[in-house]
Amino acid sequence: MPSAVTQSNLGGPPPILPDLPSGGGGGDERNRPDPGASRNTAVTGIIVLMCASTMTFAALVSAMVIRRGLNNDWGHIGLPRILYWNTAALIASSVAIDTARRMLRRGRRAAFNWLWSLGTLLGTAFLAGQIAAWMELDQRGFYLRGRPSSAFFYVLTWAHAAHVVGALGAVLYVEYRALRFELGPSRRTMVDVSALFWHFLDVLWLGIMALFAFWA
Amino acid sequence: MTPELYLSLLTFHGTLMVFFVLTVAPVSAFGNLVVPGQIGAKEMAFPRLNAASFWLTALALVVLFLSFFATGGGPISGWTAYPPLSVVGSIAGPGEGFGQTLWFISVEIFCFASLLGAINTIVTILDLRAPGMSLMRMPLTVWNWFVTAILSLLAFSVLLAAGVLIMADKTAGTTFFIPAGLLVADEKIAGGGGSPLLWQHLFWFFGHPEVYIAILPGMGIVSHLIATFSRKPLFGYRAMVWATCAIAFLGLMVWGHHMFISGLSPYSAIAFSLITMSIAVPSAIKTFNWIATAWGGDLRLTTAMLFCLGFVSIFVTGGLSGIFLAQPSLDAYFHDTYFVVAHFHLIMGIAALFGIFAATFYWFPLMFGRLMNERWGKVHFYLTFAGAYALFLPMHFAGFAGNPRRYSDFTTFDFLASIMPLHRWLTGVAFFLAAVQTIFLWNLFHSAWKGEKAPPNPWASTSLEWSTTDAAVVRGPYEFDSTPDATLLMQNEPVRERY
Repeated sequence: MPSAVTQSNLGGPPPILPDLPSGGGGGDERNRPDPGASRNTAVTGIIVLMCASTMTFAALVSAMVIRRGLNNDWGHIGLPRILYWNTAALIASSVAIDTARRMLRRGRRAAFNWLWSLGTLLGTAFLAGQIAAWMELDQRGFYLRGRPSSAFFYVLTWAHAAHVVGALGAVLYVEYRALRFELGPSRRTMVDVSALFWHFLDVLWLGIMALFAFWA
Repeated sequence: MTPELYLSLLTFHGTLMVFFVLTVAPVSAFGNLVVPGQIGAKEMAFPRLNAASFWLTALALVVLFLSFFATGGGPISGWTAYPPLSVVGSIAGPGEGFGQTLWFISVEIFCFASLLGAINTIVTILDLRAPGMSLMRMPLTVWNWFVTAILSLLAFSVLLAAGVLIMADKTAGTTFFIPAGLLVADEKIAGGGGSPLLWQHLFWFFGHPEVYIAILPGMGIVSHLIATFSRKPLFGYRAMVWATCAIAFLGLMVWGHHMFISGLSPYSAIAFSLITMSIAVPSAIKTFNWIATAWGGDLRLTTAMLFCLGFVSIFVTGGLSGIFLAQPSLDAYFHDTYFVVAHFHLIMGIAALFGIFAATFYWFPLMFGRLMNERWGKVHFYLTFAGAYALFLPMHFAGFAGNPRRYSDFTTFDFLASIMPLHRWLTGVAFFLAAVQTIFLWNLFHSAWKGEKAPPNPWASTSLEWSTTDAAVVRGPYEFDSTPDATLLMQNEPVRERY
């Protein structure tokens, strides 16, 4: 006699627990903030973090603008061609990650998994491409200690890459949870927050690229 | 004492006080203790981030201590670490080698810690307020911590960037802050083309807001406590909120007044000077509102209240000398003298410390369930208040006489011979002032174990950290009821029956 059809022997995704509040620290049920609180705090937190990062990059760029005007020893660097491919990869990863996010909101978890994996791969490709670009510049004789243009290029791209490494950590964590089918329309705060920060890094990179392609 | 050791101690004193006392105690310590309680949240928004911030601060402190035992001695660049001397290595002085590198690392770690703390505070206040706790019902303490956190976020992220650049100069051979053709100890420094002024701009873009990061929490505490201990609604709550925002906003635009004698263009100097003096307007609004709140009130001169009134006095005195220094022409004379030392010790050091003392006495029952000893508290207050004035008022005169600061020895200058008695007085009072603080320390530890048990709401306070119920907030923090024996009401106490 066939056994009853259950979730586990169908091999389908297990049920999803909604996002739980994290702000309360547990213990006293009476004082727990409402379930929306943790989602709100996560989103607000990432926006505030983006403000801080923006200030850091604004300070670096303003230092660069002032330094360029100080002397005529700036020395333009020709951007390695691979940087344009990296830019394309990063934009594509943002598109993939955002499409994935929308899929998850509609409950299409398999599509989410595919698209998010694609975004993660493209993000990793961006980082690998950046390393290739630094190696190429190194071979062409542009070092951190050298002309101010290359010094600022390295500082800005390294600072951006440090952010990308952190964001990639978050994206990979989402990937890990996604492949275990632990995410869903009611449990997607970490997805939204990671995607938001990823887009921020995308825009930041476009700014840095524009700066070096057209001005520095 | 060798000049190097003197400069090393001076650097240590400045760094320790500005970063690890005046930023950590009022912002991180009391902010974390009180903000969730006052807005009716159970915890800060991100407890793990908070822990990370705490341990990073501790790590930064350890690295700072280590820097003083580094090969070649502790850093000697002061808390501002001006390049190029701070980045060219031990050729510029015994402590400018590895000790200075560790100093930069310590400050970078501190930046991370402060940024995490600021993010946590901002999110907590924006998202975790109890039902009924609108922004304009928040106690002024919370408003000031909120604005301070925004300032921290904007200022420390810039110092972080500046720190990245200077660490590259120090360790990786870049020359962001090293000028071309630099000679140090008769030796030409290779490369160059950068600008030491660039560091000053970036540093003071952080450094001036840092003054407000240190003092704004104190202002919040003073506003809150003066209303509580005068048993009167705070005079001009909205004006106080906007004055806080105005001080922070203007404070972000006045960094150039630290650079009047650094070769700043006179046109920029005028702009920075005017904006600096305009900070007097919101500061005066605050001062008048504090006085108006206390005026005619049913004053309860507890130790906490005395420290608040002392804060107002010191803030006005220290602020007035700031108007002198805001004039580029006067600053040219005063900048490197003891006048500046006296000014910032009053307005940033003593005033902020008075805020910390007031907060300690006021929230001690919240921490330990006991009261601090009031009699010894008052003895400590009066001696500290008198000592602070006896030390820092006459110090202005040393500045008038042209006494340079950051020198280890003045005895070789003929023109300073006449003010040596003044220096002896200042040194004596400084030792006295330090000795008096043992009363506070004794009171702190003794009261923690043996202090009088505190009642549930010992100061008849109106803010939620003293509340024992979960009732929704129904009023602002400084409001009367309408009964004839009008009294301040707890923010979540239901409306009383009309008489």
